Amino acid sequence: MQKQDIETQYTVEDSQLLESGQRVDTMTINMGPQHPSTHGVLRLILTIEGETVVKAVPDIGFLHTGIEKTAEDKTYHQALVLTDRMDYLAPLCNNLGYSLAVEKLLGIEDEINDKIRYVRVLLAELQRLASHLVWLGTSALDLGAQSVFLYCFREREMILDVFEDLSGVRMMTSYICPGGLQADLTPAFDSKVRAFTSIFLDRLQEYHDLLTNNQLWVERTKGVAVLSPEDAIAYGASGPVLRGSNVVWDIRKAFPYSGYEQFDFDIPVGTNGDVYDRYLVRMLEMEQSLKIVNQALEGMPAGAYRVSNPKIAPPPKWQITGSMEALIHHFKLFTEGYRPPKGEVFVRTESPKGELDFYIVSDGTAKPYRMHVRAPSFANLEALPRMIEGCFLADVVAAIGSIDIVLGEVDR
Amino acid sequence: MAITATSTVEMVRGKYPQAVVETVDFRNEQTIVLLPEHLLTVCAYLQKNLKYNFLSSVTAVDWLERVPRYDVVYHLLSIPNQCELRLKVRVGKGREEHPSVPTVSGIWPTANWFEREVYDLFGLTFEGHPDLRRILMPMDWTTHPLRKDYPLSGFDLPEPHWGGQVPYDTDPGVGSQTLRTPFSRELNESRSKISQNQEPGTEKM
Repeated sequence: MQKQDIETQYTVEDSQLLESGQRVDTMTINMGPQHPSTHGVLRLILTIEGETVVKAVPDIGFLHTGIEKTAEDKTYHQALVLTDRMDYLAPLCNNLGYSLAVEKLLGIEDEINDKIRYVRVLLAELQRLASHLVWLGTSALDLGAQSVFLYCFREREMILDVFEDLSGVRMMTSYICPGGLQADLTPAFDSKVRAFTSIFLDRLQEYHDLLTNNQLWVERTKGVAVLSPEDAIAYGASGPVLRGSNVVWDIRKAFPYSGYEQFDFDIPVGTNGDVYDRYLVRMLEMEQSLKIVNQALEGMPAGAYRVSNPKIAPPPKWQITGSMEALIHHFKLFTEGYRPPKGEVFVRTESPKGELDFYIVSDGTAKPYRMHVRAPSFANLEALPRMIEGCFLADVVAAIGSIDIVLGEVDR
Repeated sequence: MAITATSTVEMVRGKYPQAVVETVDFRNEQTIVLLPEHLLTVCAYLQKNLKYNFLSSVTAVDWLERVPRYDVVYHLLSIPNQCELRLKVRVGKGREEHPSVPTVSGIWPTANWFEREVYDLFGLTFEGHPDLRRILMPMDWTTHPLRKDYPLSGFDLPEPHWGGQVPYDTDPGVGSQTLRTPFSRELNESRSKISQNQEPGTEKM
């Protein structure tokens, strides 16, 4: 039944007869899943009339890896590494959302000290910068601005160096974990972050110089793929896509998590909801993220890097070698894991792409009974047809770039 | 008076006492469990009168042993009032294969894809949904992977793929986490019926 539907709906049809007797020529073309500007494996079935897109049907699922199903068979600590693989351009933000959800389920939010919160905020904002840099580079590349890409990756490299220094891994760090952090900050951490923050404002100005008033860029993006505020809310768009449509909404302000209420930052919003506004919102957001990173770095309190509860975080190594209880705790933790009480939690966080929510249901065992991830890219992509219907075919590329999708997260 | 999650629960309880099964407060999160037949009325009321204008997600939970078997979970957000709420309906009373829930995509258009995802992964159908097709799994897939009786791995795979090269002499009961029902255990056992005469990589005789 389904197969037939597809065939009747999306075949190439020439010279359709409308009810009014007028003849129109529409053509159905296929974009992706291997198109370079679809940022992964997104397929769009576009019905075009001349150069104008009449109808767009996204087809997703090419990268479906069953993360939600796999998580049901892992302990809470093991499931953490799966979250890295969803939005692979911002793994630390995923780690943060997941860790907050598990901590809420365990009821140990109050045990998380200020040091952990500050480090988490700092890393999440660095990750936001890294993610926005990739977005800026690739979306500019899609529209033909090749040099921006190289500059963006140059700065992103410095952020990845910080992560590598902390965790030994550049991308899939799993550094933020339920109960705190995987390891303490390294001695070089401070200087590495400062090396980045001291130059980044100037570099951001360079990107502005390259694009913001560039006539080619403005003509390709202004007034293109407009999304009204009402549509943005109705279609569940979030993050920069929602704010680009002039809706003042940021989870970090509305439901502050991990101590965001202690930081001073603004929410940039756009006015028209076009590609240019979404671009500008992200550019201004980078400035705000830098501000948060600086505040977190200056005010970094001292403290332990994970909770002292041995049921949740392993005891330090020197105790394991000396104390039988510590050894047992360590053994039980890594063979069985911890058992949160029965219940369910839903934690909202603001990832670089938008509202990233974790819904975890516990049945009292050591494995999550159900983990659902509300991926921001998934909902943002749903709004894509709304944006591009009526636009030119060439603007589809600009629109896809402007919503900043990561297919690993869309398909999960 | 500003609307909060707690006051919403009170208002819904007061206005639609017949629709509410129970309300739960866990870790400061408010949940209203509704009867499926009243879902649309309550959702329309929440969206119009109480300004819950943003639907964060629609998902489902499979409680295999329970009757009704499935929870369909809606997470709502009110941008003007800055509050959040969880709605739930329980469906699948008569052990039917594809229980049906009314669609909320007329109230929040974003529900369209989320409900398609639930249909795809759980096999729940949404009455009145404009475009109920699979979204993540391939179009010709026949089963629903997030159900609890769906094994993590181990369906009878087409023969050239396995070619009888993998020994299946383990007790299927060992993987009871993934093979919880007789149905899926049968499927698993069917794999172990290997013909001794079959050459690896050839069609099953």
